[in-house]
Amino acid sequence: MKPAPFAYLAPRSVDEALAHLAEHGSEARPLAGGQSLVRLMNTRLATPSVLIDINRIDELAAISRENGTVRIGAVARQRACETSSHVRDGVPVFAEAVGQVAHPSVRRRGTAVGSVAFADPSAELPTALLAADGEVVAASTRGERSIAADDFFTGPFTSALAPDELAVALRIPVSAAARTGSAFVEESRRHGELPMCGVAAVITLDDDGAVAQVRIALCGVHRRPIRARDAEAALLSEHPDDELLQAAGALAASAADPVGDCHGSAAFRRHLAAVLTRRALATAISRAEERNA
Amino acid sequence: MPDKVRVAVTVNGTAHDVLVEPRTLLLDFLRDELALTGAHAGCEQGACGACTVLVDGEPTRSCLMFAAQLDGAEVTTVESLANPDGTLHPVQRAFTENHGLQCGFCTPGMLMAACALLQHTPHPEPSDVREALSGNLCRCTGYQNIVRSVVAAGAES
Amino acid sequence: MSYKYVGKPTPRKEDPKLLTGRAGYIGDVVVPGMLHAAVLRSPHAHARIRSIDASAARALPGVVCVLTGAEALEHINPMAAFCAEPVPQTAIATEKVRYPGEAVAVVAATDRYIAEDARALIEVDYEVLEPVVDPIAAMTPEAARVHDTLDSNVVFHRSLDFGDVEGDFARSATVVRRSGRWHRMCATPLETAGALASWDPYTGAMTVWSNSNFYNFLPWVFAGILGVPTNRLRLIPCTVGGSFGSKHLIMQVVAIAGALSKATGRPVRYLEDRFDNLAANDNTGPDRHYDAELAFSPEGEMLSLSLKIIDDYGAYFQFAHGQHGNAMAQPTGPYRIGSLRYDVACVLTNKVQQGFFRGAGADPGNFILERLVDAAADELGIDGAELRRRNFIQPDEFPYKIPTGNVYDSGNYAAVLDRALEIADLKHWKAEQERLRAEGRYLGIGLASCQERTGYNASEWWFLYDNPPLPATSTPESVKLQVDAMGGVLVELGCPLWGNSPETVVSQVIGEEFGIDPAGVAVTYADSTTGAMSAGPGGSRLTIMLSGAARGAARTIRDKMTRIAAHAMEMSPDDVECVDGTFRAKGAPGTSMTMGEVAMRAHLFAHDNPEGESSGLVDTHTYDHPYATPPNADRTDMGAFYPMVSHACHIPIVEVDPETGRVTLLKYYAVNDCGTIMNPPLVEGQIMGGIVQGIGAALMEQYEYRDDGTLGTSSLREYLIPTLNEVPDIVVEHVQTPSPFTEYGVKGAGEGGRLVAPTAIASAVSDALRPLGVFVDELPMTPERIVAAVQAAR
Repeated sequence: MKPAPFAYLAPRSVDEALAHLAEHGSEARPLAGGQSLVRLMNTRLATPSVLIDINRIDELAAISRENGTVRIGAVARQRACETSSHVRDGVPVFAEAVGQVAHPSVRRRGTAVGSVAFADPSAELPTALLAADGEVVAASTRGERSIAADDFFTGPFTSALAPDELAVALRIPVSAAARTGSAFVEESRRHGELPMCGVAAVITLDDDGAVAQVRIALCGVHRRPIRARDAEAALLSEHPDDELLQAAGALAASAADPVGDCHGSAAFRRHLAAVLTRRALATAISRAEERNA
Repeated sequence: MPDKVRVAVTVNGTAHDVLVEPRTLLLDFLRDELALTGAHAGCEQGACGACTVLVDGEPTRSCLMFAAQLDGAEVTTVESLANPDGTLHPVQRAFTENHGLQCGFCTPGMLMAACALLQHTPHPEPSDVREALSGNLCRCTGYQNIVRSVVAAGAES
Repeated sequence: MSYKYVGKPTPRKEDPKLLTGRAGYIGDVVVPGMLHAAVLRSPHAHARIRSIDASAARALPGVVCVLTGAEALEHINPMAAFCAEPVPQTAIATEKVRYPGEAVAVVAATDRYIAEDARALIEVDYEVLEPVVDPIAAMTPEAARVHDTLDSNVVFHRSLDFGDVEGDFARSATVVRRSGRWHRMCATPLETAGALASWDPYTGAMTVWSNSNFYNFLPWVFAGILGVPTNRLRLIPCTVGGSFGSKHLIMQVVAIAGALSKATGRPVRYLEDRFDNLAANDNTGPDRHYDAELAFSPEGEMLSLSLKIIDDYGAYFQFAHGQHGNAMAQPTGPYRIGSLRYDVACVLTNKVQQGFFRGAGADPGNFILERLVDAAADELGIDGAELRRRNFIQPDEFPYKIPTGNVYDSGNYAAVLDRALEIADLKHWKAEQERLRAEGRYLGIGLASCQERTGYNASEWWFLYDNPPLPATSTPESVKLQVDAMGGVLVELGCPLWGNSPETVVSQVIGEEFGIDPAGVAVTYADSTTGAMSAGPGGSRLTIMLSGAARGAARTIRDKMTRIAAHAMEMSPDDVECVDGTFRAKGAPGTSMTMGEVAMRAHLFAHDNPEGESSGLVDTHTYDHPYATPPNADRTDMGAFYPMVSHACHIPIVEVDPETGRVTLLKYYAVNDCGTIMNPPLVEGQIMGGIVQGIGAALMEQYEYRDDGTLGTSSLREYLIPTLNEVPDIVVEHVQTPSPFTEYGVKGAGEGGRLVAPTAIASAVSDALRPLGVFVDELPMTPERIVAAVQAAR
């Protein structure tokens, strides 16, 4: 289980990295934490001919908060996100999700941006980004653009990034509204594995306790992370009760189009989508209510 | 073959200035180039933790990192723990006193993950150990004695 | 009986090398000029190989050799098999591949990276054939056949009645019926299998380092495959990173390294990677469908057991039906069941074949029996513990012959059960169960009382055949003991270090017999040219057998030293004893000689010693299986072959989420009786490790072959074994009923945890979900299976 040959480049600046990407395009892969990419390279499911190691670009390591947004740089470790007060206070759903990624030793090396860019349809962070209404900052020698999470994930392990683009950061709006709560819940076969299904929910209640805003995203139940838009619509302006949450779960399940594997069939993943959506919403709502208190 | 990469790396206190093939995994570099066979290849996919070493103090799966990435880094492996006179490191001693190993294949990875934990958390609770070592598989011991060993190592210091 | 070192928590001698990265596993062995092998494996379950083009691979710089299956047969022979049926297997497939992952071509190159580069360049043209995946469908005449040499995929079928099965069922008041399903699992040691072969073309000698076991038991099997004379083969053991039964022979690995070494004239190391190991380890566990019936008298007395079994053996039949031979040791468990019907069909499919994995076929046997007992408790309205107690073989009935003919040496099953019920704090857990049920949560308390047959006899591989080619084997174990001229004690083992503690055990025994500190005993490992007959670790035998071998050798040397010391002290040997490493006059301890003083006389001054005492102090003692009787001609009595029988009762506490199917273990209680305990922490380590493998078997471990026959579980991210997070606090206690058949009364303990935990956890999950009407009859209990069972019960 050894990787195929490749050339190794270790740029010291974003500009240098982008120049490499512009030159090598789809032959090249950026290397951040490597916890997914190197695994694929060892099994030769990924065989880039050029590896652009971005770990030495210090400016990409930062996690910061500016103008109501948390910004996570491309080589900020998952562990740093987990412990960052910017992330925990500003985007609790992302912090909760990152704490469920693999194991601590993997999170010390793995990066949040890398996980998003890897676009594994079962992974936690793309889904959390989707629920948090975040965006990916993509840079190339042609310039910089932001891609909303809603538009970023295009299929299994594929994204809207162009071959010459580097995901340099995530930008996630801080959930500032008073009665906002969130939850990330997942079920995996074994602690630390990718979930069979995971649900991220962010919900804001108005003064009457009706749903003012809600975003629900799921992983593990489709070829890419998805929003449960019908469920969101059903909740909006309503006072959530058990029956409504149950209905929302059913709507989320019907948005799912899972691919089964040895951990769970398509039907079981759909079942989990309903159960976990209901549970995530219930937790998010109770947290929203607590935050009011 | 692509150009080799020049790497200045310190391993267990010894400085090395070497040329490595880009694709050489840190695990193979340690085992094949430096003859440090304590880190073990259990899965080569980051699933088992038997290859765990410390890179700049952080527990790292050496099967998921390339030696080429190590320029300027400090690597610590299980070979550094015991004294040359055979005196075991307190963590090693705790493992033998609490029967925290059987076949020993996962043990170097467990020891290095435990050392990293004890650096941050000198007196860990069982829950701390469970969290820190959760990514390291053991097929022999049933884990309970590993947790005991690490807690005991912390209690001793 | 009180001992000085036997039964004491002596520090483990094996630890320092393992703790410091100096273990010397097969992956650590380096020989000058060594090449590295990689194996190209079939993606298809069943296919004809039309052609193989390795020209690009051969042209790659650094590549020394590429061999196809046919080319390899110019250097090595087909694999050995213990079956009577014609099921040929070669290390590398020749005309056809019969399971996904079967080797198709092998490469030797200057490093593993290049070997894998070359592998990627080999082109194979396959004609894909219909895969045989479902063993039930495979039994039909119209099914595609795995082997053309057989008339049917049912490679072996036999139905045996032991005792009056018809009569017992006819007179029964209640028959409890359940089906059961136990899926394919595998040992998954963290170290894969590997071998380094070095052929000397000038002498025809072959040296092989490997992590196999049978080098001092069946070395001629390796010689036969490698095509070298038995007296030109040297098999050198390495420290083994876990086996759990899966590395006894590892013929494929040894054969591939050997073929490449012969083809290149250079040393070649082949170390499986994790994919090689999962896909092609040749040692998966049983894969069984059970239809089981247990007949009861009106008083709740177990009368007869009927087991109808279909077992999916995969593509080959290396150890024949050995896993059922093994199960014959204890199919009726700890109960006084008077008769047994055992009907087994072994079916070949396009999957990796079975071999041995901790439990070795008795594991699903315990599962189905205890599930039947739980079902009976429900149906008869008798408390499960009470029903068991009522049917236990009683302490005064040993040695007890079970219907198959195997003999149980000793036990006190009620004492074990009672102690388990005591320590499990059932009052607390039952209250907790009630409290949580009121909240709509489901806590379960499991119970299983199971046998662990220990000290195996290899006859089980063939004795279900009518006319076995071989009689019952003695399955021996040997040690060589030397006391040097200065009194230094050195032991050479015939077995490898497989993760258990042979160095510690023999040191304790030698220490006991001479009264010396075990820490001072030096231990080394013999290779196949120096070691005496040793079957090594397996079938929970090693502590039993090493105790016998080491004690035998110690007594021979001690007696000789006693004679020499007595002669020197001008006393009768009868008046001299060995105490604390000193030979002294009984009752007059003032007159004495140290071990060194006696040893120097023994080594250099034979003429001064008693008549007939040759120089030196060395003895190789071979300890044969302590109690084995042959099967009778019509197989109504299989003989005693596995008679040291340990016993355990496990009580796991679980919580089950019926909506997600998640099972959380809250606490685990185990009481174990393995006779005299040689070394308490080591026994506990075996039990806890076995329990955690049992948690894997209960909840997550399973091979998945998809409908097209391809393998869905080819990495440790798919074939899941427990992590720290799945393991609860485990409480282990002991009852000690010494064996009358062994030295010191020891019994084995290597497999017990895994022989009990799966069925105990099934019992706990069933108990949790009882209000929902769920009865667990299939392992592992994956989340999906649990949710499906809850929905089906609705």
